[in-house]
Parts: sequence; C-alpha cells; structure tokens
Amino acid sequence: MGTLFLAVLVLVGLGAWMVAIYNKLIRYIEAVHNDNKQIDIQLDRRYKVFESLINVVKNYMDYEKTTLKDVVALRAQAKTAAAAGDQAGKIAAEDAISKIASNINLVFEQYPDLKANQNALQLQEEIVNTENKLAFAKQAYNNSIQKYNETKKSFFESIIVGMFPDKLNQEFIYWNLPEEKIAEQEAYTVNLNKDAK
Amino acid sequence: MNGSGFTPSAIDWRRQLRVNQRRTRFVITIFILVYVLLGFLVDIYLTSGRVPAYVPMSTIMEALLTFQVFPYATVTMAAVAIISIFVTYCFHDRIMLLGTEYHEITPQTARNLLEQQLYNVVEEMKVAASLRYMPKVYLIEADYMNAFASGYSEKSAMVAITRGLIEKLDRAELQAVMAHELSHILHQDIKLTLMASVLANLMLIVLDMLFYSVLFGRDDRNERNNGLVMVIILLRYILPITTILLLLYLSRTREYMADAGCVELTRNNQPLINALLKIHGDHMQNQEAYGAAYSQTPHEDVRREAYLYDPIQCGIEPVQSLSNLFSTHPPLSDRLKALGYHAKISSNE
Repeated sequence: MGTLFLAVLVLVGLGAWMVAIYNKLIRYIEAVHNDNKQIDIQLDRRYKVFESLINVVKNYMDYEKTTLKDVVALRAQAKTAAAAGDQAGKIAAEDAISKIASNINLVFEQYPDLKANQNALQLQEEIVNTENKLAFAKQAYNNSIQKYNETKKSFFESIIVGMFPDKLNQEFIYWNLPEEKIAEQEAYTVNLNKDAK
Repeated sequence: MNGSGFTPSAIDWRRQLRVNQRRTRFVITIFILVYVLLGFLVDIYLTSGRVPAYVPMSTIMEALLTFQVFPYATVTMAAVAIISIFVTYCFHDRIMLLGTEYHEITPQTARNLLEQQLYNVVEEMKVAASLRYMPKVYLIEADYMNAFASGYSEKSAMVAITRGLIEKLDRAELQAVMAHELSHILHQDIKLTLMASVLANLMLIVLDMLFYSVLFGRDDRNERNNGLVMVIILLRYILPITTILLLLYLSRTREYMADAGCVELTRNNQPLINALLKIHGDHMQNQEAYGAAYSQTPHEDVRREAYLYDPIQCGIEPVQSLSNLFSTHPPLSDRLKALGYHAKISSNE
C-alpha cells in the first residue's frame, strides 16, 4: 500500500514536471513568433511615419518630391519580395528606405536655421525613434530565439523535445545580414573629404 | 568628466546576470528558511509551556515535525506572511509617488521635445525588452537627477524620472537610465524586495512578541527551558542586524542586475557609465541644494531603495535612520567596475 502510494506520487510528480517543461517551450516558441512579427510591425510603422514625415518636410525645403515616390516604390518592392519569400530582396528594399532616412538627416545638417527649428528637431527625433525601435525589435527577436534554443538544447528539456519533436522542435533563423552585405559593411569607412563626396 | 582616470572595457552581462540571480536565490532561501525556523521556535516555546517540564526538548521537536502536535504558530505565520505580501503588492505602486509633484507623460500630453523624447526612449526600451505593456511614464518636478521604477507586474509597471535628469542627460544616457529602470521591472525586483522586507518586518514583530512574553509572561515553571530562553534573547539582538544586512545585500545585487540588464537591452555600457558619473558629479556639485530638496520632499524613504542613484553616496541623508550607515546601492566605483569601467590609479570622485 505504502509503496503503491509512493509510486503514484512519483508518477504524478513526473507528469506535472513534464507538462511544465512542455508548456514552457510552447511559451518560448510563441514568444519567438510574436517577436518576429514585431519586426514587421515596426517596418510597417516606419513606412507610415516616413510617408507622413516626407510630406511635411517637402513643404519646408526644396526636397525632391520623388523621394516620397521612392519610399512608396521601395515599400511595394519589399512587400512583393516578402510575399515571394525572397528574404534578401526584402532586406535590400528596407535598407534603401533606411538610406533615405539618413539623407533627410543630412539635409537637416545643411540648413542651420532648420536645425534651430522646433518642428525640424521633432522630425529628427521621430526618425531616430523609428530607426531605434526597428533595431531593438530585431534584437528582441534574436534574444527570444536564444532563450528558446538554449532551453530546447539543455539537458532534461531535450528529452521532452525528443518525445514531441513536431510540436517542440522548431528551427528559427536569427535575424542577420547576408555574408556579402556583412563584408560590404565591414569595409565601409566614413570619408570626410569634400571632393570624395 | 568621462575618460579621465578610467579605462573602459567590455562587460560580460550574461555572466553578471547569472551570478546575481544565484545570489538572489541564496538570500531569498535564507529569508524563507529563517522565517519558518522562527515559526518553529514559537511552536516549541508554546508547546513546552503546555507539557510537563520533564519532557525533553528533542521529544517536542519530534512531535512537531511529525505533526503529532500541529505546528499552529508556523502555519499561522505563513498565512499572515502570504496575506501581508499580497496586500503590500496591491497598494505599493500607489505610494511610490507620494509627496512629489509629478505628472504623467503620454504622446498626447508631451509638452515639449524633451518630454516627447523621454516617452520615445521608454517605448524603444519596451520594444527591446519585449514587454507586453507600455509602462506608465511620470515626470517628477525636481532639480536633482534621479529615476525609479515600480509596479508588481508588467501591467502595473511605471517609471518615474526627475526633470533635472531629462534636462541634463543626452538621448543615449537617458535611454541607458530607462533601460536600467525597465530591467528592474523585467527582473521583478519590486516584487522581490517587497517580499523580503515584509518577511523581515514580520520576523521582527514575532521575535519581539516572543521576547517580551519570555521576559514578562514567565509562569511558575520558569526554569523549564533555559536553553530556549537564551536562544530567544540572543536572536532578538542578532536577527535585526542580520536582516538589515541581508536586505541591503539583496538590493545591491538587484542593482548590479539592473545595470547588467541595461547593457543587455542597449548592448552598450558607455551611456550608463556616463549617466552615473554625470549624476554623481551633479549631486556632488549641488550637494546642499539637493540635500534640502530631498529632505523637503515628504515620504522620501519609500523611494530610496528604488532610486537609480542613492543620494547617501554623496553625503545627502534624506531620511534619518540607522540603516543610513549602509547604502542600498553598491558603491559607485564598484558599479562602474561591474560595468567594465576600471579606475586607472585612483578614482576621480
């Protein structure tokens, strides 16, 4: 009687512990999914913010009206690339939008009056804020992949993962730049010579 | 201010977080253990009053441990602890802003660029920490540079920052400070320190009751358990000091963790180092004015542990109490060192 009770107790404890690990891993997987979508949310937000920013900016200065068209075109390009599963194409288009943002900042530097202008400062703050949010969303995505991967691969948890591989064993790819892009960025230096520009 | 006399280096924030997490577990385990042991001591004391004097202590302990005699005191104390911790959680975030002049900042109510920037920075850190709720952001109208976070869960979380701080720090430094505060929320430090201090207070109350009942409530069989009385008297003097030291150790550990968490969120240790040096320098410079400002603000003691920078570290004592002998925060030089900023020969403090 005593041993039976003990055996049942041990089994129940073991079951509860397995359920806890299972639920934890599911929670982590969903967090990764959520953080992945967070990047998209920030990209979408950036597009909308820049669209309205450029609308404002072109009233202030002689900024080519084509810029807005560029952003819209690039955004469409990014969307089609994403739909076709072309990750590299998507990243390239998003990077191009980033460049436009830094161009706006460059324009600010050329107009000293504008730099003192409260509205212009506000726009600049908005751009920094938007770019930061996007970068932090990417970082958060990588963090949650790290958390999931290290739990999944550690001992005990890996046994449970082995029991339900199709539910618990997911492969997530860290957000990163393609190899050639990294090489290009590594080689990049700032050239402050006027003629070089 | 920065750069002179210091060599910056990288910091292994993952290790910092791990080490301090382990220390926290250690402290919390000790707290719960001591609390239960104290309950057990009360039970022994009560039971020994009810049984004949010749029953040895070991028999009483055995009877209590095997539930032959139900340990009423331990169970009651546990229940009281759970209820008081719960009640404290419910009311705590309301008292944190007590006595200060503050207003909430939202994108709609931001009155100028600085306030807008503050909100943006907190929102950026929220994205980096993947918090599910945006913490409330409060601005305190005060000249001194300080900030704190509160809230027992992500949902009720809030950060507060003084006007002096947002005016004197640049964007990156402000971001580092906010990352430090959000790390406190993320690590559930408010919950943890509240729990520890509630346990510590209850412990001292129970011990006092026990002590006075030994002193004045002696019945005719007062020679029954001299050993027990000795233990109680001894504990009465040792336990208060021990709990204060443990609480300080805990809150310092959590500060280190929040500093490491800041580096985790921003992946940069320089801004927080600059911010800490700036805040310290500013406090040193305006010591008298700030000392007056702190002491004129009522209820400064409820915020002390939560502050980014403990004003005691530059000689300002907002609250007069025994625990002022020790700071709730690690010394600035130790914090900078943990952040990867090593003093070359002597620190420039």
